[in-house]
Amino acid sequence: MPPKRLDQARPFLTLIVVILGWLIVPVMVKTFARASFFELQAPISVAASYARDLQDYWTLRLHSNDELIEAGRDLARLNATYEESVQQNTNLEAEISRLEDLLKLPPYANYRSEYARVVRRDFSGWWQRLVIRKGKNYGIPVGAPVIFSGGVVGRVSEVYAYTADVELISSPGVRLAGVIEGETQPISFQGGINATFDPPKGVIEFVPLNVFASAMMPKKLVTSGLGGVFPPGLSLGTVTKVEPSADGLFKSGEVQLDPRLSSLTEVTVLVPLNPE
Amino acid sequence: MATHDTNLADRSGSLLQSHKNYQPRVVFFYFVTAVLLLTLGGGLAFQQLFNRDRHRDTERMQNQRRILVPGPRGNIYDREGRLLVGNRARFAVVLYLDELRSEFRREFIRIRKNYRDTGDKDLPSAAQMEQITRATVVQRYLDQVNDILHRAASVDRPDLMKHFARQLLLPYTLFDDLEANDYARLVEHLPVRSPLQVMASSTRFYPYGSAAAHTLGYVGVESDIDAEDFPGEDLKTFKMKGTVGREGLEKVFDTQLQGEAGGTIFRVDPTGYKINPPLDKRLPVQGKNLVTSLDIDLQRIAEDAIGDRAGTAVALDIRTGEVLVLANKPDYNLSDTSPHISHDTWQSILDRNALLNQAIGGAYPPGSTFKILTAIAGLRSGRLTPDQAIVDCDGGVKIGNKLFYCDNGRGHHHNIKLSEAISQSCDIYFYEAGRLITPDVLAAEGRRFHLDRRTGIELPNETTRMLIPTTEWKEAQTGERWFPGNTAQMAIGQGYVLVTPLDMACFFASVARDEVDTKPTLLHHAAAPVQHSEPIGLTPEQRTALLAGMEGTTLFGTSKGINALPLYHVSERIAAKTGTAQKSVVKDGQLGTINFAWYACFAPLEKPEIAVVVMLEGQDFVSAGESFGGGLNAAPIANLILKKYFAKRDHPAAFVQPIRTP
Repeated sequence: MPPKRLDQARPFLTLIVVILGWLIVPVMVKTFARASFFELQAPISVAASYARDLQDYWTLRLHSNDELIEAGRDLARLNATYEESVQQNTNLEAEISRLEDLLKLPPYANYRSEYARVVRRDFSGWWQRLVIRKGKNYGIPVGAPVIFSGGVVGRVSEVYAYTADVELISSPGVRLAGVIEGETQPISFQGGINATFDPPKGVIEFVPLNVFASAMMPKKLVTSGLGGVFPPGLSLGTVTKVEPSADGLFKSGEVQLDPRLSSLTEVTVLVPLNPE
Repeated sequence: MATHDTNLADRSGSLLQSHKNYQPRVVFFYFVTAVLLLTLGGGLAFQQLFNRDRHRDTERMQNQRRILVPGPRGNIYDREGRLLVGNRARFAVVLYLDELRSEFRREFIRIRKNYRDTGDKDLPSAAQMEQITRATVVQRYLDQVNDILHRAASVDRPDLMKHFARQLLLPYTLFDDLEANDYARLVEHLPVRSPLQVMASSTRFYPYGSAAAHTLGYVGVESDIDAEDFPGEDLKTFKMKGTVGREGLEKVFDTQLQGEAGGTIFRVDPTGYKINPPLDKRLPVQGKNLVTSLDIDLQRIAEDAIGDRAGTAVALDIRTGEVLVLANKPDYNLSDTSPHISHDTWQSILDRNALLNQAIGGAYPPGSTFKILTAIAGLRSGRLTPDQAIVDCDGGVKIGNKLFYCDNGRGHHHNIKLSEAISQSCDIYFYEAGRLITPDVLAAEGRRFHLDRRTGIELPNETTRMLIPTTEWKEAQTGERWFPGNTAQMAIGQGYVLVTPLDMACFFASVARDEVDTKPTLLHHAAAPVQHSEPIGLTPEQRTALLAGMEGTTLFGTSKGINALPLYHVSERIAAKTGTAQKSVVKDGQLGTINFAWYACFAPLEKPEIAVVVMLEGQDFVSAGESFGGGLNAAPIANLILKKYFAKRDHPAAFVQPIRTP
């Protein structure tokens, strides 16, 4: 009987031995193992991403010529619109630059845009993050802001050789200084506790008492530009609720984030040209 | 076998031997042991069963700590809901020391090893190394903040050690009163889960700076905050600093304005660091708001009009007694008192005598504005009649051995009657009126109008030095009898007569309502009832004559020039009285006389709404040819207040202003 009992306990014993073994392994080995794990995992994710691209390619190949021609025509129109917008933006940037010179305003940090494809999305009660297909190979630093056409995506939290993790603004681990559009006083924005399939939300704190917002009369929350990480004016979300705190000093509230955060395929990393 | 039996016999023999050697003292030892065990067991049972509660309390007090956080004070508003005193957020970056336990330990080991490695025999003591450890770790975090904010601060080691000794459970403040930019940078750069956090507290905010400084008052730091109904009063408690009203409404209504303190009870480890989560928690609650009767528009008009001069202006709502204006100069900027008053600011306030609330804290001779009381006393006592000229004013009169002059009017007033005597402020008429009325009747009338006592307004430090003298009072105080000259001076509001500007405002409000008492209040109530007290008791003819004289002051009397100027012109009919009183004072070591310029009025004459009193203090000793007086100097200020009041009343929409918030 005793030998049988030992057989039954063998898995637990093995686990204990492995744990004990891991505990006595030097820190350097552990660090190397961890880094290797992520670095080895990255090619798999990237390969999966390329496989999806290929899948999309073949899906598109199945469309008829007429459909493709129509899509091409729509795309050409869209491009024309964008080109016009780009031209307008160039003029506006020149005007802003002229006004900043005139008013002797300090220049905001300049950024280099690095467009990256999303290879994996990880949404749960624990994680709210993306993995993008660019890493150290494109000079992406930890902490760099990540944006998309709808505003702020998040910040780069980990950088590997060929990939990088982006912590989304829907994550409680991301905090930044925002302002209500048209106001000047900075308020603290932080990602909320978001369940897997819920629309992403964030919370705001230290909201001045003269700010009012509701679902019927929402206010737009944008980056303040004062924090030194994000450029000003990028959309964070819509403030749909503010209520006074018990101490009467501030209000706190809720921010509805862009639902497209959970279906992003392309993002832009803003790499600071002159990091502090 | 035999051998074996022999051995057994030996053994039994030895046992028997040992039994034979049995000592009775051993029994005693057993007994003692049993008693001791019983005592031990009994004691244990006693401690565990009967002293259970006491030990539980002791354990609780050893293992639990309480942190109290003050609640923000309530706001103070003016009568139209505009914020006069609020709370401003004050951001600080703090370090939660209790989250650094393991870091302190590691650093201590590292420092100790470094010292030992040096081979130096003169090693620091453990306590010294502990201090070095704490300073090193905190400096490391401070450097993180320095990098973000581009600063180069160092740890204040004595302050840090004091914090460790007394306030370990409270976060240690690295930088206080951060600018918006600093706050934003820290929010973005500091990791969310860091011992470094941005924390907000409240400090008083004064959107109008020095406006109504004496009325609103200021707050000071209070270390001994209390949280009623929050458990754990017997626990060791760490208290964050709160505030307490030191002056003005902040002091009088401190209990109402004071927020309700919040609190947290934590379990702590043997070294005193807290263990999360808290066992009990209550959020602080803001204190009650206060709506004052002040009108900030009128208040600022009054203060701007007084300007750099020393003086005061009081305006009352005649119907309710609500104080619309209580302006004092010199004053101080309330923003300089928050979060604390610096030594230089305090010294400057003292040097300028800016703490004195002259409207209630100073007693001054009212001068000719007192003649209204003399007139009422004369009319009520029948010694004066409206159509009787009691004297032929030729510019001077000899009373006793002294010649008294008429200081008002360019020529002689001749056979002047009551109304005109009021309008022209003829001193000769009132000298004679005083003689006819007698000082004690005059004093009784003053007491009837409550000029001899505090008004009871909701402010601290209202003086008790106001004085309506009587013949007995003078004899008791000076040992001298009352002279006719004393009566003459009293009749024109000079001599021993002393009142506060607020007293005079209440007196004129009472006269406007044809009553004898007005209770001033600084609290606004939208449905405040009209005040009522004993009627003055004048006949309609007497009242008409009195009011005609007061209106004549503004039309052709001592303040006619002011109301004629477009800048100061008020379209409503005004009943007023000017006054210029003299008082001997010591200034810069020299004795001299200075003037006090008075102007007291109410309007509209037909249906009075507002009473205004302005008193300005002359800056220099009176000299020949000086023209510092009530009609010239004080009346313009009162007219500006009245003008604004009626403009707001007639066009309220034009004066709607956004509410200022911090």
